[in-house]
Amino acid sequence: METVSKAPRRRSRFFLAEARVAYLCLLPAFLGLIFLTYVPLLGVLGISLTNWTGLATPEFIGFDNYIKIFTTDPYIKDSIIATIYFAILSVIGSMIYSLFIAMLLNRKIPARGFFRAVFYVPYVLPAVAIYVGWSWLYEANFGFFNYLLSEVGLHKVLFIADSSYVVPSLSLISVWLAGNLIVIFLAGLQNVPIVYHEAAEMDGANGWQRFLHITLPSMSPIIFYNLLMSLIANLQVVTPALALTNGGPGNASRFMTYLMYDQAFVNYKLGYACATTFIIFAILAAFTIVLFKTSNRWIYNEGGDDK
Amino acid sequence: MSGAVYGQLRSRKRNRRIASTITFVVVVFFAVLVLFPIWWIFRTSLMTNAEIYRYPPSLIPADWLFSNYEKTLQIFKFWKYLLNTMTIIVPSCLAGTFTATLCGYAFARLRFRGKNLIWALCVGSMLLPAMVTLIPLYIGWTRGLGLHDSYLPLILPYFCGGGAFNIFLIRQFIMSIPRELDQAATIDGAGYFRILFNIIMPAIRPAMIVVALFIFIGLWNDLLQQMIYINSSEKYTIALGLTNFKGQLKQDWSLTMAATCMSFAPGVIFYLIGQKYFVEGITLTGMKN
Repeated sequence: METVSKAPRRRSRFFLAEARVAYLCLLPAFLGLIFLTYVPLLGVLGISLTNWTGLATPEFIGFDNYIKIFTTDPYIKDSIIATIYFAILSVIGSMIYSLFIAMLLNRKIPARGFFRAVFYVPYVLPAVAIYVGWSWLYEANFGFFNYLLSEVGLHKVLFIADSSYVVPSLSLISVWLAGNLIVIFLAGLQNVPIVYHEAAEMDGANGWQRFLHITLPSMSPIIFYNLLMSLIANLQVVTPALALTNGGPGNASRFMTYLMYDQAFVNYKLGYACATTFIIFAILAAFTIVLFKTSNRWIYNEGGDDK
Repeated sequence: MSGAVYGQLRSRKRNRRIASTITFVVVVFFAVLVLFPIWWIFRTSLMTNAEIYRYPPSLIPADWLFSNYEKTLQIFKFWKYLLNTMTIIVPSCLAGTFTATLCGYAFARLRFRGKNLIWALCVGSMLLPAMVTLIPLYIGWTRGLGLHDSYLPLILPYFCGGGAFNIFLIRQFIMSIPRELDQAATIDGAGYFRILFNIIMPAIRPAMIVVALFIFIGLWNDLLQQMIYINSSEKYTIALGLTNFKGQLKQDWSLTMAATCMSFAPGVIFYLIGQKYFVEGITLTGMKN
């Protein structure tokens, strides 16, 4: 109100001061965005067109790296399959698990804060320690899971040492880690107006119907957010391969980011690794775009208000 | 008639009570399931190797061998790794939270030219997977700036805004604070930074703690970057130390689990301290996405 009556010149100087403060505040982030995000992004493209190994001066070789990846690379196909397999299992598993737990925690139960903390705990443990710890549970002879299997009379399974079990085994860990999704879902559930549920209950809707027609639609923006974040995170999976499996057994857990790491930092084929990076980026982008494109079909926006 | 309605209400109330009892039992069941792996790791860390391999395995160690931890500490330099990890995490958390707050403030409250462009750059980077820029950044830090075997490539990015997601979070949080507060301060003659430090920052403390926790967890979990930037075992972090330790002691599960449990501890402690703010912060910010 004060500034409205000021003369135009004063006003512009006033805005100038405001802008100066804003630029000062944004300077570090702006530099970061330029030099740590967008320039490196162009760098990936540039380096991917060379044969750089880190030693000799790089030569421009056009799309040779990309052609080689698609025609002769022994790992890329397995790698993409393993990554997508892992991501789909993990995302579906953790979405169902975390929404289910969040709905339970949204009810009036004793010690709710305590339980919320319990389900969140796995998320704050360091990833490496989690994988090392779980590798003991998955151990071939004396691991806990094999003890369970032998108790019910089933054969022992090698879990992370068996190429057909390694991805589901690692996915289970990533579902276990989904505590952050639970907290976000819970926050969303607390915003679903209780009146809706009461009205539906009056009309004789049972629990499942209320879940389908009230909870899911009103939660859809948050489901989308969690789905997107968890998909992007899981498609970039690398830590279990680094800490535990080294991409094996065979190529069963040679996830895309691990493949890139291996090419760039073990074999020093920097140009080639950048081409792989760009292909991975394209795959991630494709998933993101598909998710966004389909989202307006199933996201329910109350009165178009998505703020 | 009214008696029938009353009876119906009462039976509904009874059904509710049964339902909430079932809910509670299910929650307890899942909580036990979630905590079980951690317990199993912990109980293994207190056993002799003979006891580990016994069949059937027991849930509770016969003797609580805390001496396993002493043995582990002789090879697994936990305190040193912790110190190294903190050398990375503490400046990153402080700088990341601070610069994210500055940005969030500018985006939420200030008017300036190019706001939409910078905001678009910021949101765009949020959708850009971190692994994409890994190799060029590595080349830049090591070849370009000569930072070999250094923590700086891990720390310095946090001096640049603390990540788009965190900026977004702070901005949303600031936008939920009534503008009247700043306006009143402006009338009292407070400048922009006074408003930021004396009014905004105290009001968004939960969000700042969440951001610090996110940065903490991010660094805590990031084995890949630590692997490529840190070479000498002198500079190992907990993540690197544990990976290396596991490789050394392939079969000694009780010591490996002791090292694992030690690595769990700092995260749990940090979480317990920040938990109240954390849940509050997520609850408020998670909603605004």
